[in-house]
Amino acid sequence: MITEQGRILEALLSGTFICQISDEDAWRFLKISGNAEKIESHLTMLNRTLATCAEGDVFFAAYQTLGNSERKVLATQFQEISSNLLPLVEWLVLVQQANGSDVPITQSSAIRLNELQSIIEDTPAFSEQLAKISHYRFFGSTSVSSDGQIKQVFKRLTDLGYLLKPNPEKQIYLATGKVEYLYDVLKFIDETEALSLSEQAENAVQQGSLL
Amino acid sequence: MNQNIRHAGVKFLNTLSRHADLIMQVYLSGAIDASKQDSSVVETLVQAGILWRPEAESELRLKQAIRVMLEGNLHDDRNRQIDANIGSSLASLKTLTQHYKEAMHHARYVESETYMTDLSQHVYALTESLANSVRVLFSRINNEFGYVSSIDAKIRENQLAQDQVSELLKQLEMFQFDELSELAGSNRELRHLLVVTLQQSFSKVTQELSIVQARLLSLLGRFREFRGRTRLLKGFMLHMEQKPDFTLPDYSQLTQAPLLFNQAKPVIKAASADVRRIEHESVMQELVGTIKALNRVRPIDSKERAAINIDVSEQTSVVFKEDKLKQAVENYFCDVIDSGQRITALEYQRQNNLPFDPEAWIYQVIGGYQGLTAEEQSYFALEATGEDDPVYTGNYIIHDVELGLR
Repeated sequence: MITEQGRILEALLSGTFICQISDEDAWRFLKISGNAEKIESHLTMLNRTLATCAEGDVFFAAYQTLGNSERKVLATQFQEISSNLLPLVEWLVLVQQANGSDVPITQSSAIRLNELQSIIEDTPAFSEQLAKISHYRFFGSTSVSSDGQIKQVFKRLTDLGYLLKPNPEKQIYLATGKVEYLYDVLKFIDETEALSLSEQAENAVQQGSLL
Repeated sequence: MNQNIRHAGVKFLNTLSRHADLIMQVYLSGAIDASKQDSSVVETLVQAGILWRPEAESELRLKQAIRVMLEGNLHDDRNRQIDANIGSSLASLKTLTQHYKEAMHHARYVESETYMTDLSQHVYALTESLANSVRVLFSRINNEFGYVSSIDAKIRENQLAQDQVSELLKQLEMFQFDELSELAGSNRELRHLLVVTLQQSFSKVTQELSIVQARLLSLLGRFREFRGRTRLLKGFMLHMEQKPDFTLPDYSQLTQAPLLFNQAKPVIKAASADVRRIEHESVMQELVGTIKALNRVRPIDSKERAAINIDVSEQTSVVFKEDKLKQAVENYFCDVIDSGQRITALEYQRQNNLPFDPEAWIYQVIGGYQGLTAEEQSYFALEATGEDDPVYTGNYIIHDVELGLR
């Protein structure tokens, strides 16, 4: 029998992001002070360390020290992250706009696929946007129907761990902590590159309202 | 007098109930066009002070008193009004108390009784309005200002609510219990009303208001966070639209790679089965059983497809190989004709660096020679070099063949 600690270790070593949505037991375990240290000592053996993001609510395994081979892995990973960023951001904005509630998708947001699909299908601007997003290589849809496109997008996001389908019978998806990770990446880029993205968006909104 | 009031009140309430549909319609839509309604009904309602016309020519609206009554009763979210006028209520309480005390002093008990009833009414009204204010605030928080859609509107609503809370707290400071207790003096009934009841309600309201305030602040924080995130997303999209060639520098190659871009590669792979573990035997047998079951089903659907695939590829490759070998043999024969020299097959192979297996090559040469017509064969001489098998007599092992012109 595998212990709780072993199970968490296995999840971390297989590259999983642990958050309250994806694995609540593990998340609770890691949140209790002292437990993280226990896991850490095992991870250190494999040149790994317990890393957190989203203000300590999402856990994953990072390299402890970076040699040449580790840097190579990170370089390919970074390539992936940076090329996937735009499709993901566009998808998040699309869902937010289609929901019409002005609330961004965050961890534990529920997305009802059927509702979303009918809104997108009824609004030509949204379906155009969906077609654009789904044909990114990241989502890799070749379908011409909105139905096929949205299903492919959701399947891909579920495979990559951004979404979770708690009940296989129902088309309701929950956003996981990996979405929070995405926001962290955006914030990091915004700060490091001094892009002042928020100001850009605000200016655009103000100009839009003036027109 | 009393009879008259009662009569008028019942009449008024009857009017309300008789025209309930119309009143609710006005309540929900805000105003109503008098011309579209029965003029006598509208006239009655206006007379009773239920509907009124704010300006000549404008539509009919519900009187505020009726509206407040409905909002309070229906727990309507749209009710944003908070009655924070505690100062005037307190002043009226003090006045009534003095009336009461004066009446008691002059032993006008009937009069004092009336004042007492009024006073109780005012005290309970004050506590009720305080409790109501808190309830209104809570109901707005609990559905996160659901009656407005955009985050900016929610932030504004939140700020309004916070202003109302601070206003309410400021008004609550007007409760000076030492003064009230002095006013009540030693009268038991007055003390109960002015000190005990008010103090209870006061402490309850201040406690709840502090919770409300904390909730409002955390909500505001969340709304700001939402707004920040939305802006971040939209800002990024705008940025990418304006500068499509924008690329990120590779942060992972910095000396201190940020933790965000430092995800270790997955290392765990599935463990393999250990067939020597006795305790696993039954599980593995089961697994093996399922494999068999699968195999029985499979051939039907997979055989045809697989067979077609293999046939096609093998045929082409075999033909291709043979072609090459045949070609080489033909070249070999032509070479012998061209040069007129005798040359062994292996030597020719070495000279031309032919990539065939020597045995296959020799076979092919012999086969090529045999394949010629008798007339053509007579032009060539094929001589094999080799030896008898040392063990099995009658077998001749060919090491090489030499081809020349006859």
